[in-house]
Amino acid sequence: MTAAITGVGALSSVGGSSAEIFAALCAGKSGIGEPKGFDLTRYRTRHAFEIDDRPAPGVDVPLRATRWLERVVVDALADAGLPERLDDVPVLIGTTLREIRSVELMWRDKAEFALADLHFGTALRKRFGATRTYTVANACSASLYALGLGVDLLATGTADTVVVAGVDTISESTYGLLDRCYPVAPRRLQPFDRARAGMLQGEGAAAVVLSREPVGRVHATVTGVAVNCDAYHPSAPHAASIAAAVREAHCRAGTVAEDIDLVLLHGTGTELNDEAEALVMREVFGSGGPLMTAMKCMTGHTAGASGLHSLLVAVESMRAGVVPPITTLDDPMPEAAGLRLVRDTAAPGSLRRAQVDSFGFGGLNAVAVIERPRE
Amino acid sequence: MNTVDRLAVVTGVGAAIAGESPASGPLRTMADPLDGMSRRVLRHKDRATRLALASAQRALSAAQLTDAGARTGVVVSTNFGNLDTVCDTVDTIAEQTYLGTSPMLLPSTASNVVASWLAITYGARAVNLTLCNGSTSGLDAVHWGRMVIAAGRADRALVVGVEPGNQVVDGLLDRWQPAGRRSLDGAVALVLETPESAAERGVRPIAQVGAYARTGAHADAVFAVAMNRRIGLWCVPEDGANDGEVPGAQRYDVAGTLDATCSGALGVLQCAAGAGWLADGSDDAVLATAGRGGVDDATAALLLTPIGGAA
Repeated sequence: MTAAITGVGALSSVGGSSAEIFAALCAGKSGIGEPKGFDLTRYRTRHAFEIDDRPAPGVDVPLRATRWLERVVVDALADAGLPERLDDVPVLIGTTLREIRSVELMWRDKAEFALADLHFGTALRKRFGATRTYTVANACSASLYALGLGVDLLATGTADTVVVAGVDTISESTYGLLDRCYPVAPRRLQPFDRARAGMLQGEGAAAVVLSREPVGRVHATVTGVAVNCDAYHPSAPHAASIAAAVREAHCRAGTVAEDIDLVLLHGTGTELNDEAEALVMREVFGSGGPLMTAMKCMTGHTAGASGLHSLLVAVESMRAGVVPPITTLDDPMPEAAGLRLVRDTAAPGSLRRAQVDSFGFGGLNAVAVIERPRE
Repeated sequence: MNTVDRLAVVTGVGAAIAGESPASGPLRTMADPLDGMSRRVLRHKDRATRLALASAQRALSAAQLTDAGARTGVVVSTNFGNLDTVCDTVDTIAEQTYLGTSPMLLPSTASNVVASWLAITYGARAVNLTLCNGSTSGLDAVHWGRMVIAAGRADRALVVGVEPGNQVVDGLLDRWQPAGRRSLDGAVALVLETPESAAERGVRPIAQVGAYARTGAHADAVFAVAMNRRIGLWCVPEDGANDGEVPGAQRYDVAGTLDATCSGALGVLQCAAGAGWLADGSDDAVLATAGRGGVDDATAALLLTPIGGAA
């Protein structure tokens, strides 16, 4: 059973569509900047990858995530040639922080924010008439985890069409606590670099339309999604479960490590993620395996949206035969020795099958395998 | 509306609900819902996580499931779960800058913290989901517990509904619904599994998870799951909202009985009560409904059926 991706929509600090984001990444364009909605006298960290849509500098407003979600769903439906009407089409929305930023603004600044808007179903009902909506709060693996659930809905015959989305804005509670946790404030997000100082947050949204029996153009097919949980530590990753998820994804996709041409790594630039992920990639692929890249260096960690962001970059890479580089990788960490990390400039490749990694707090692991449609 | 063929049955129910209420059976309230929990397990956890851990321990014990393992998943439903950490943290930052915060709180800023600790504490390594899905969230979670089993992602699922009652949630609810009830301070857990998995441990199932629908109108959801079924017990939505009658059914207002806004916990509380009702012996089904037509974004209905009957 496969699920065809028939429509896509995306938004991030570097672009307003999947194609725009991909072009920016290939050109090495970063969305990094100083956070515009927070009182920076309260923080040490000075960098984030924000979507610049606030009404004025220093002025933050509720419901930004909800607006982005609506926008990418509109784009994905249009791309799939579907009307802006969902009714009983299931919509799964992966997110780390839901509309928690709006709760912060309501609690501290007395902003107007309704309880009904804490989950995304309310806005999707109003805009698209959607009634089978699920806000899946699965940390930074959320949208790829949701992709797995969406594929299950098609496989079990529960639905013929499913929309899977991911969205996150930056909350001050996460921004402040990350600031508290890192020894020094990161100035760049450096996946797999020896000097990586930690993760920087990004904002964004993405959506895909999945169809069991596609009639029009197909961007790619999802051939397998594995999900599991470390059950090990609330924030530290566990290499053994990541490896199990990668192997299960290959197995579900009916493929083997040797047939993967590209890996979109989770690559957060944190000490622990990159170490565990690099060790697993070496264990699974050995030396000289597939091309690998990590996009968070230019978009920041877009949290609940990040899994689908990576998936869409994989789709564009397979279509174009080009892999965007890790632009902030100066000195690869020793654990990554032998991995074919794309550095400095975009690399060409004949790419038919890609693996996408997405992991999150709580030991959540989601790994997807996608294939380019046959010509 | 599903064509799935792997069944899910309820083999264990557990609760940890604070306060005083006339609720009996599975939903009885306690002066100390964390009674009997080890201090080590509760250390450095938020209120929602503590309540969820206590309810889960009781449900796992009832299901005689001592080692959850690689084939057990977790599905949590909560709407207010981590809002206490979020709001306390922005207050601390406003007063003392980021330096005043405790790094121990970082995982609790993400809404999946409860599911994370459930998996770690009880060793559940399969699919792990957190639904924050408004008024229907609890019924949605029970349905997804069934779905992950049906899709073969797990053989067992620990489904927990939890809402914490504390100063932050009360403060938010004072603004969101000034005339409404205060938040539930409690959790409830169900162990769902395939009949084969239950049989391996020699555990007798008490109910089967049946049809589910999430639709725009209450009557449509009820019709989709309950047509041609004899309903013995009907659990009504929050605030006792009532868009019609279910002929011959006894009516149970869980939120009214607990005198609390049950929010994301409601559907799981209803299923716990329904499983208890079926365990007492009945040939009729239990209909659980959540979401208020015209108020919430959708309404959900889910059927629990007696063991041995048709789903």
